Amino acid sequence: MSQIGSFALLLALVLSAYSFLAGLVALTRKGAGAERLGETARRAGIATFAMVFLAALVLVIAAFQDDFSIAYIFHHSNRDLPGAYKFATLWSGQEGSLLFWSLLLATYGLVLRLRYKTDSRLFAHASVIIAAVQVFFLLLLNFAAHPFAVMQGTLPQDGNGLNPLLQYPEMVIHPPMLYLGYVGFTVPFAFALAALIMRYPGEKWIQITRRWSMVTWGFLTCGVFLGAHWAYSVLGWGGYWGWDPVENASLMPWLTGTAFLHSVMMQEKRGMLKTWNMWLIFATFLLSIFGTFLTRSGVVSSVHAFAQSSIGDWFVGFLAVTFAVCLFFYVKNRSHLRSEHKLESLISRESSFLFNNLLLLVACFTVLWGTLFPVLSEWVQGNKVTVGPPFFNRVNVPVALLLLLLTAVGPLLAWRKTSIESLRRNFLWPALGAIAVGAVLIVVGIRPWKDITYLYSLMTIMLSALVGFTVISEFVRGGRVIKGHTGQSLFASMVQLAHRNTRRYGGYIVHFGVIVIMIGFAGAAFNQDKEQEMGYGDKMSLGAYTLVCRSYTQEDKPNYSSEWAIIDVFKGGKQIETLYPERRFYKASQQMATMVANRSTFKEDLYLVYEGLNQDTGRPILKVHLNPLVMWIWVGVWIMIAGTVVALIPNAVAVRVTAPARIQAAPVGAGD
Amino acid sequence: MILLICALVAASALFYIFYLPGKLHFGVEKTRVSYLRERQEAVYENLRDLNFEYKAGKLPDADYQSLKSSLEEEAATILAEIARLEKAGAHSLRGEKGARI
Repeated sequence: MSQIGSFALLLALVLSAYSFLAGLVALTRKGAGAERLGETARRAGIATFAMVFLAALVLVIAAFQDDFSIAYIFHHSNRDLPGAYKFATLWSGQEGSLLFWSLLLATYGLVLRLRYKTDSRLFAHASVIIAAVQVFFLLLLNFAAHPFAVMQGTLPQDGNGLNPLLQYPEMVIHPPMLYLGYVGFTVPFAFALAALIMRYPGEKWIQITRRWSMVTWGFLTCGVFLGAHWAYSVLGWGGYWGWDPVENASLMPWLTGTAFLHSVMMQEKRGMLKTWNMWLIFATFLLSIFGTFLTRSGVVSSVHAFAQSSIGDWFVGFLAVTFAVCLFFYVKNRSHLRSEHKLESLISRESSFLFNNLLLLVACFTVLWGTLFPVLSEWVQGNKVTVGPPFFNRVNVPVALLLLLLTAVGPLLAWRKTSIESLRRNFLWPALGAIAVGAVLIVVGIRPWKDITYLYSLMTIMLSALVGFTVISEFVRGGRVIKGHTGQSLFASMVQLAHRNTRRYGGYIVHFGVIVIMIGFAGAAFNQDKEQEMGYGDKMSLGAYTLVCRSYTQEDKPNYSSEWAIIDVFKGGKQIETLYPERRFYKASQQMATMVANRSTFKEDLYLVYEGLNQDTGRPILKVHLNPLVMWIWVGVWIMIAGTVVALIPNAVAVRVTAPARIQAAPVGAGD
Repeated sequence: MILLICALVAASALFYIFYLPGKLHFGVEKTRVSYLRERQEAVYENLRDLNFEYKAGKLPDADYQSLKSSLEEEAATILAEIARLEKAGAHSLRGEKGARI
């Protein structure tokens, strides 16, 4: 079995190298011969997918067959591991996850190469770039992190098992989502670099990659928040984001990718910010690779450090070469990236995008600086200085608030320039609504003058309300216009409105999801927790809840043994639920894992952690967290996903009306 | 057996890559005119947005007229260049090719 996998990987490397080299040669020559050579390069790229797929398939089959002759299977699986986790073995360790990276890249490459007729020359350039990235990952797989390395000596009867922290349902989907995001940015990167290399005229490459970028961004968003949900549900510290280096690694390309999705609209609509967008997508790709490097190299310590090894040098080399290539072609062809228009006014849609981009980059740089600071301090001073959440929060909370303000203001501004009269007309009611929300919160009991976190929390909710009101006003105003034309209900008109310009109104739905998430974040200012030993019948109170320990016990299962408590939850004197916080000991890996018991409502989460037995008394110790508004975060993510899906739907055809006389008969729609 | 499977896999891959049909079909190469048509579409889309925002009551009259006028001028310039290139193309290449970029 392992020989077939090894052979498939080696052949994939040869084919992708051919795809790269033959494609490169074909692009530098002209004539029928070059076209035929280019076609063989394209087909070699497609065949690479088949080989990488075969290798991945062999690894998954080996996991299901408990083939412990393969070292990777021995280290990351065991006989009693449930089927879903055996499947997830593919991305549970270093070698497998790199193979998975390579498989996703080959799949994206396959789709790209099958659609080459859209613009064969541009696609040929992009295909060569993707082949180059593929060669790097296949070199790694063949020579540095071989997933089919065989065990030496006597074959073990059972494997070491999967890391207990990874034995959680979300772990089956979190890494694929994250990787689909990381890897997916290779496609817009390849098209951007291709457009720069060939001095591609116009913005068509952006239109071609628009859906790629949105899908990729959607996957990365899912991946980041699934990671947060996993951390919240599994790590048992009561939080969902700890500014861990690996969390940061996924956030950085998300921030630059978000900036790209916004600023690229300026290039499409106005032919502006070409250099900026080019470097944004370069940076996003480089940060995706950098993220993989951080996760894999062990250069920073992390709770997510599941797979560390010495492949860091390979990544550093690849990052350096990629940056050098980008810089070379930028310097060579920068004249091609001249803007077609200048910024006409500071109060305009363009400037709001520009400020939005600057803020996202400030956030990204802060995260990068904080993540690398321990490494840099060690180089400079000789001792590792770690920066914690206070550093990240101090910079990123105000940045997030400013971003929220821009999210509210941006859609209300016109392209080119906006008059004060226009601002007043669009902004007055949403602003009054936001102030009213703030006043209600103060009346309800939030005291922003008592603590800076309360102030931030209040501002977050007020600004979120402002965004919400502007999004609603955009839908209502647009819906009314459609209603005036068609006579349908306002709701039906708003649906039609969204269908006429799905990117714009899908984007507003995404913004709505963002504010729901931000409100969820704002709840963190009011978190409470308490720790107590809980014997039979012992009580603990936190907030409006009273917890009573009904019992505690132990259990033995094939894959793990566990200790758990049975806790009755009372509110207002009435029992509302029974929770079962648990702690497991996984036999194969000899490791502990916490299974949090969480009662989640829109108002708050009652989050119970079984911390273990007190050795002296034999009674369990429980830690209880009361975390307000956490559910809003997960609901907000679903709204963001729904908005992204809406944005991906093709626009309905606009109604054709008479065009302005000065520019002849042009199709000027009445809709969007 | 494994050797045979590997040989079959490799032979299939090589056959797929190098056994090409007699005539290959590629899309048309991009011309200056097609680029200008893309720009024309972008300006028309901007005009559509502007009209709609005006109808939705987001823009005062003065802002609308000024923005509309500048977009129309941009569109007119693009249309003029398209017309010029198409005319030149028709004369010099007898309508077979557009001007290469």
